[in-house]
Amino acid sequence: MIYHYIYVTILIILSVMLFACLIRAVRGPRVADRIVAVNMMGTMVMVIIAVLALMLNEGYLVDVCLIYAMISFLAVVILSKVYIGVYEERLHKTQDPDDNEDQDKGGLSDGSC
Amino acid sequence: MGAVEWIRLIAGCAFLAGGIFIFFTELFGLFRFHYVLNRMHAAAMGDTLGIGACLFGLIIFSGFNFTSLKLLLIIIFLWFASPVSSHVLSRLEISTNENLESHCAVYTDLKALEEESDTADMSDSGLQPSEEKGGAV
Repeated sequence: MIYHYIYVTILIILSVMLFACLIRAVRGPRVADRIVAVNMMGTMVMVIIAVLALMLNEGYLVDVCLIYAMISFLAVVILSKVYIGVYEERLHKTQDPDDNEDQDKGGLSDGSC
Repeated sequence: MGAVEWIRLIAGCAFLAGGIFIFFTELFGLFRFHYVLNRMHAAAMGDTLGIGACLFGLIIFSGFNFTSLKLLLIIIFLWFASPVSSHVLSRLEISTNENLESHCAVYTDLKALEEESDTADMSDSGLQPSEEKGGAV
């Protein structure tokens, strides 16, 4: 019974922190601020899912948590790459509009390593 | 409950409270700092240490079974994933910010940084931002 109270307390604290983090994601002045806040929300949701897995005694929720970690990491990497590509494409369009034909296809590939 | 149960409860609660404290510190830093590279420093702490402490407390609660093994796998995955995502995010910030010099010092080559830090040790002056930007992208 005491474990149940511990789990509920942790869930309440993490939910309040999740909403505070959502405020940062809405207010953030730059794109990177929003991605950092969303990444942090993903981390907190992972802890919430892991606590629920032990609280409800359902082992498969930990698998959901593992997949969530992988998808969250993938989302951060892909969003960053897409924003770098969009920015560089826009930069090429504003700087030299003469040779615009070359940059139309390879806009996103500029941001790769 | 026996003595072992009490020890398990107290140790798990200590790890969970530590993890929650790290998360709170992360959130505080996210609102306190004024630039995204500083915020990233605070936010990267929770990805490894905060969730590591929380999930280790849950491992202690769960005991020795497959659930705790999967929780350990999540901790190890995040150890590898968090530095990579931080690196990619800082690359995004550096390559899309046009006035980066107003927030932090930008060095185009490392030799200038080494010389400047050598002289800064002797003359005790702060680091000055260089003229050009974009070399470290």
